[in-house]
Amino acid sequence: MMDEKNTEEVTAQDPAEAMLQQLLHLKSFETPDPARMTRNKQNIMRQVRQAQSKQRKPLLDLLELNIPWFFAEPKYGIAALFVAFIGLQYAGMTARNSATNTGLYTTTSSVAAYQAQEVESAVVSNRYPNLPSNYQLFGEPQGDQTVVPAGFEYQNK
Amino acid sequence: MAGDVNLEPEDLPEEELSEKGKVSAEEEPLEDAGPQDSELVLKAQQGDVHAFDVLVERYHDKIYGLTYNMTSNREDAEDLTQEVFVKAFEALPRFKGKSSFYTWVYRIAVNKTINYRKKRNRKRALSLDSFDQDIKLDDAYHEMTAKGSPLRNISLSELQKKLNEALQHLSEKHRTVVVLHDMQGIPHDEIAKMVGASVGTVRSRLFYARRQMQTELSEFMK
Repeated sequence: MMDEKNTEEVTAQDPAEAMLQQLLHLKSFETPDPARMTRNKQNIMRQVRQAQSKQRKPLLDLLELNIPWFFAEPKYGIAALFVAFIGLQYAGMTARNSATNTGLYTTTSSVAAYQAQEVESAVVSNRYPNLPSNYQLFGEPQGDQTVVPAGFEYQNK
Repeated sequence: MAGDVNLEPEDLPEEELSEKGKVSAEEEPLEDAGPQDSELVLKAQQGDVHAFDVLVERYHDKIYGLTYNMTSNREDAEDLTQEVFVKAFEALPRFKGKSSFYTWVYRIAVNKTINYRKKRNRKRALSLDSFDQDIKLDDAYHEMTAKGSPLRNISLSELQKKLNEALQHLSEKHRTVVVLHDMQGIPHDEIAKMVGASVGTVRSRLFYARRQMQTELSEFMK
């Protein structure tokens, strides 16, 4: 492409212009030290690699990067597995506890009525409560019914 | 002869601009020697650093030539060349291929060099690469140092210094077009893309830059 363009250029007619072109042509003989150029290229390539390592890697690449490490350092790998196991166990336990938590199925109006009686109450245990007669349990909350989580027991004094 | 070099009309009518012959026209980068630039760019965008290494190898000398002639300081030119390629690599994911990689990287180089010089208000001392010994075999050199020539009694290093000083006295815009066109042999339309100006503006800048250079080097023009 450049060749085509260059052939379109007309040779210099003005002697001053021609002289200037010849002087500028001499600058093409200024040649850099090859050793410096090689070092410069190496520096560029090193910096490019550093720039690449700073870029965020996709998860798949990270896995690919870490799997060999797992086999190279089994003790850390096993430790990591152990920690992961404990974590999962804890998460499972929490989920199980949440599922078995007791709750009072009642209506907001009955709670209000109970409080209106000014019955003193105290927490005596976190076992399943002996409910006052005006507290009713429901299998599933219906209508304006609500669920009051309870880990404690009301007792009339 | 030299005209008023202080005038800088950006769009001189084309007929007023005489297009002179080029002495140092270089070929466009050899894309057929190995994989195409576009192929290498694609690989580099996918994270293949080796593909980018090939691009560095391919364009390093040209970018160094540009930054060196723009600054007349080889240390600055090396730093700039390094910055240009690193910047190009970092910006590669955003390169859409609307222009060639070669034009794109040149544009980065021109902008970087101009910004670099703006940041350094103080002019740096010249730090020049030495002349190749082959210069003494060059016909143009023989002609210039022939009997009766004003260059006959001047040493090569002195000539080199004068040339570079004259170049550094040009404004950034003018120096850019002289370096790109007269030294690197890049055609006007490519330069226009690189500097973000019209072809007419490029021709105009080139015209006035040459006039100013002629004035600066008038002692050799007799």
